[in-house]
Amino acid sequence: MPYRISVDTGGTFTDVVVTDERGRFTVGKALTDKRRAFASIEAGLAVAAEELGLGVAGLLAESAMFVYGTTRGTNGIVERKTARTAFLTTQGFPDILLLKEGGKAEPHNLRMEYPDPYVARRLTFEVPERINAEGGVETPLDEDAVRALLATLAERQVEAVAVCLLWSIANPAHELRVGELIEQALPGVPYTLSHQLNPILREYRRASSTAIDASLKPLMQEYLTTLEADLRAAGYRNDILVSTSFGGVMHLHDVVQKPIYLVKSGPAMAPVAGLAYVSAESLAEDIIVCDAGGTTFDVSLVRDGEVEFSRDTWLGPAWTGDNLGMASVAVHSIGAGGGSIAWVDPGGLLRVGPHSAGSEPGPACYGRGGDEPTVTDAAVVLGYIDPAHVLGGRMPLDEDAAKRVVGRLAETLGESVERAAFAIMAVANENMIEAIKELTINEGINPAESTLVAGGGAGGLNIVPIAAELGCRTVLVPRTAGALSASGMQFSDIVTEAGASKLTATDQFDFEGVNAALADIDARLDTFGTRLTERGFTDLRKRYFVEARYRFQVWELEIEVGASRFESPADVEALVEAFHQMHDRVFAITDPGQAVECLNWRGRLVANVKAPTLEPSRAGRTEHADPDRRRPAYFGQGLVETPIYLGEHLGTDVVIDGPAIIEEPTSTLVVNPGASARVSAGGRYILTPPAEGQV
Amino acid sequence: MNKPDQPVITYDMDPVLMAVLANRLNAIVREMSNTLLRTARSAVLAVVRDFSCSLVTADNQLLCPGEGLPVHIFGSALQSQSMCDTHKDLAPGDAFLHNDPYMGNTHPADHMIMCPVFVDGVHLFTTCAKAHQADCGNSIPSTYHAYARDIYEEGALIFPCVRVQKDYKDVDDIIRMCKRRIRVPEQWYGDYLATVGAARIGERRLVELTRRYGIETIQQFVRDWFAYSEKRMEEAIRELPAGRLENVTVYDPLPPVLPDGLPIKVAVDIDPAAGRIEVDLTDNPDNLDFGLNESVACATSNALCGVFNCLDPDVPHNEGSFRRLSVKLREGCVIGIPEFPHSCSMATTNIGDRIVNATQAAFAEIGEGHGLAEGAVGMGAGAAVISGRDWRLGGSPYINQEWLVVNGGPATPETDGWLNYGLPVAAGLMYRGSVEVDESKYPMLFKSLRVVAGGGGAGRFRGAPGAEVIYGPRNDPMTVVVSCDGQVNPPRGVRGGHNGPAAATYKVGADGSEEKLPGVVECRLGPGEWVRGVDAGGGGYGSPLERDPARVLKDVLERWETVERARDVYGVVLSGSADDDSLAVDAAATTARRAELAATVA
Repeated sequence: MPYRISVDTGGTFTDVVVTDERGRFTVGKALTDKRRAFASIEAGLAVAAEELGLGVAGLLAESAMFVYGTTRGTNGIVERKTARTAFLTTQGFPDILLLKEGGKAEPHNLRMEYPDPYVARRLTFEVPERINAEGGVETPLDEDAVRALLATLAERQVEAVAVCLLWSIANPAHELRVGELIEQALPGVPYTLSHQLNPILREYRRASSTAIDASLKPLMQEYLTTLEADLRAAGYRNDILVSTSFGGVMHLHDVVQKPIYLVKSGPAMAPVAGLAYVSAESLAEDIIVCDAGGTTFDVSLVRDGEVEFSRDTWLGPAWTGDNLGMASVAVHSIGAGGGSIAWVDPGGLLRVGPHSAGSEPGPACYGRGGDEPTVTDAAVVLGYIDPAHVLGGRMPLDEDAAKRVVGRLAETLGESVERAAFAIMAVANENMIEAIKELTINEGINPAESTLVAGGGAGGLNIVPIAAELGCRTVLVPRTAGALSASGMQFSDIVTEAGASKLTATDQFDFEGVNAALADIDARLDTFGTRLTERGFTDLRKRYFVEARYRFQVWELEIEVGASRFESPADVEALVEAFHQMHDRVFAITDPGQAVECLNWRGRLVANVKAPTLEPSRAGRTEHADPDRRRPAYFGQGLVETPIYLGEHLGTDVVIDGPAIIEEPTSTLVVNPGASARVSAGGRYILTPPAEGQV
Repeated sequence: MNKPDQPVITYDMDPVLMAVLANRLNAIVREMSNTLLRTARSAVLAVVRDFSCSLVTADNQLLCPGEGLPVHIFGSALQSQSMCDTHKDLAPGDAFLHNDPYMGNTHPADHMIMCPVFVDGVHLFTTCAKAHQADCGNSIPSTYHAYARDIYEEGALIFPCVRVQKDYKDVDDIIRMCKRRIRVPEQWYGDYLATVGAARIGERRLVELTRRYGIETIQQFVRDWFAYSEKRMEEAIRELPAGRLENVTVYDPLPPVLPDGLPIKVAVDIDPAAGRIEVDLTDNPDNLDFGLNESVACATSNALCGVFNCLDPDVPHNEGSFRRLSVKLREGCVIGIPEFPHSCSMATTNIGDRIVNATQAAFAEIGEGHGLAEGAVGMGAGAAVISGRDWRLGGSPYINQEWLVVNGGPATPETDGWLNYGLPVAAGLMYRGSVEVDESKYPMLFKSLRVVAGGGGAGRFRGAPGAEVIYGPRNDPMTVVVSCDGQVNPPRGVRGGHNGPAAATYKVGADGSEEKLPGVVECRLGPGEWVRGVDAGGGGYGSPLERDPARVLKDVLERWETVERARDVYGVVLSGSADDDSLAVDAAATTARRAELAATVA
């Protein structure tokens, strides 16, 4: 069983990565078939299989593992194409999903439409019941009213039910009973109870994750079950794992129970790939991973060798989108890419985005009717993209069109066409630098001490100036940069989580209550762990976390707790100390002597999946390299004849000084003047940017 | 986007670097704001975001307002000016506490922390972090004292720009004063630390930025950035027709000080040829013996806010664009320059909100596509200051301003009003509180919180509705201080749009009986008693008979409007039922109904 297959189904492309037992990567790319996942998987597999001298059936039969990631769930949410879902909540509070948490962007712009709630108000129902903050029953559950309400749901042909009652985290009795009544009245209709899915304080976040989860159940269960049947029919016999928001994988049958875990399914794997590559090169393990596609730019982080998580994930814009309500790999996305349009505002300042030419009509150089200058057009004008060599010459670009649209902008700016194009790149870089800073600053990571990993088809065009501006000294670009997330899946562990809510404070610590909550978490993880052991995964680790804050504070920080039991005051002291340290790192202040309040407890079970060893992917060593050709390119000081290298001809240890351009089949790497690129023993490009501000 | 024949505009600085540095400053303000939000203790700051951070130049020009509340920020330079005037020995490590409304602050409950930023011994910037306190030592347990005859009765501790840190360490004299007089001192001190932390983060980042690019470049940037912003403003004003717009809105009666309410007059002169706008607020009454007098900062900011709400939101909001605007104020005027010791306890909101409304609604007079309706005013029960003791924490005291109002936003020429509007001076920027967070932090119980169907002013575009909230104490008595407006004179519609419904507050007895309360009231609730508040809704824009029937249908399906109001106010007749998804517009009946209603109106 020499092969491992990973697949990332994106909105446009499906990326397939196959590794063999020596850790060699083979990449296949195909257009995504939105109706049936397997159709595009098969097409991608066919490309990879051919390179390996096999057929698809042969490859599947010879594979030990299949890992799958998909943006299907996320797209369903954003496009509101999920199940017809009803939202059941405590009587008197029907507008939790409508009101969200307030806030909006642009202080003086009131000409915005207020967003629709995730579940329509006409499908929102109030349950007569009320529990208080300590778990006491203020109003008993009116079961007759619930039965009547469920009869209405049946008439309204509801396909899924989300239940989020106030304070179910303090006393789940009412939610549990509603769940039983749903099973009686609506047999077979999937439902989600908030305290089971995501037991956290704050009704909007809990309700939002509950509604998202329930709404995805019919869709994703069908989608993944079909995929499984197709894979089996095609001859694949081993484990099918699915990539989750936790940056890990789960067995397909486990993830269909909680499809909300699929929300960051693909992008959550980019930092996993970054970590694997950086570890293999023994570089600094604070890592910033950038994945640049045609329309979005994603940033994620690894700190001290751990993928960074966030509890504040919005699908769509902050405040007005839908909050995931639960931890996921922190991925900060901005709408910036090759299609972003450059324009001059009424004050004469050059702007790039937020408007995008997208893939239709696309940049002017695509020759499909685009008439506004885009970042890709600028890259063509600057000579970074060779119009005759895109995707191995299969997609010739219209250089004249690029020059025409950028030239028009140059006139408005009173600049030469090259300078205008260079300015477009610089402003586009700025948007990306800002996105990186936003995430690193919020998470307390210093870019200057981190390794930058660039992925995505457009990732190599501008990574050098971005790194220089951030002060990063080391940049890593994998050869398979174009399929970063699918590559990450090759290295990911099985990860599952369980949570419990237990409010206490360190100056009156509820040992019994906390230990009970942790024991409950442990029990749930162990049930899962037992199943994994039965499947042959024996390398299991458990970790525990708590969200805590100083007394009177409102927002929590997450810290790791050493064990699943608090035995003595010394254990509590250790927790307080860990909190002070985390608070100091993130906010640069501490409040010594202040009690720490603990709210939500979480356990994570990690099962090691034997990852491929990363062997060199190069033919051999080369002392020096010969360029394939030379072209004029612009780096701010007039056009210079610049050598163009073909990546496949470069052996290990060769060093290429900028200015130079390296072409890979699915990406282009620009080595700016003052920077240098070295091909590592592992076959990856390690770039050293010029000192800060020199680009 | 790109317009043909756009003129070439040149700056001394590379425009790309200019854009880069403008971004950097925004990022610094965002980092300051994030620090304050995540570390503050009181719900009014940490949940609701009633604070703002900004950057000012050493010569006291507002450079970067971030995305904070305009009312907090537009006067930052007045305060940094007073810092320079009162302290000739500014040094690195200083921080100043300033809440004096007669010296440039908004109102005493807003504690402003300012840190002068030095690079190589030169004062280049001042970082500003302003936070609304949960308590500021007033004579009543609320940061809003409507009936304060003067600053003495108001009772807030006033700090006329005093040094609160030297060499990066607290001046403990000041800290002790605050801890003695401010209720729940530990909460105040935590909020103080968060605010200083925000100003210090800004200081650290500005020093790094300046070292990175050099003092010369940064100073050149400041000049060019202001020139660019002024240019943008000039262009925006040139697109407006010339003329004088006048508007009057009436603040609710507040017996005995204001038996008939207070008419607020705003005149706006637009001079597109000169590229200037002037707002004249001088034709208003003299200062009154109450807590609602405007400070200079509030009167100015709120008038500017009303103007900015009607222009391209992409125009930067800083000293550069301000050069094209002026606000005329007069000494001793209730909306102007307050005469000491008249109280400005509530200057940011109440009358302040009316200034924003009157100004933005005045622009609607220009014609279709211009201006906005009036947004909901009034801090009703959902925004009350609650206080008492918590039996769950051994009877320790608590005080906090709630923020579970919705208050409907104004209709615009192209959209319905924004739902979580809050107040005209907040304009949707503040976050909402959480029922569960409030119930865990304070000994209270909410009975319900729901958006009111038909609660927005009708129009071609309708105002957003408000909410109804009902809450009360659990075991111990609770004091609720409400400072509501908009109960008598609701937010008005424009261009044929209807007014939003008025706000209301009721005390609900243990037996269920209701007592209507005045707008401004201090109310004591025992266990079993509740307060019920209904928000005002935003005004509509244009005639409701012109509203797209498809929008009316969606409104009824989604419970924004009722079938009755669809028929009687919008003239849209619906058939079928929302319960079985068969609701539909009856086109013929709608045409007839609209003709009938139009005839009645005519």
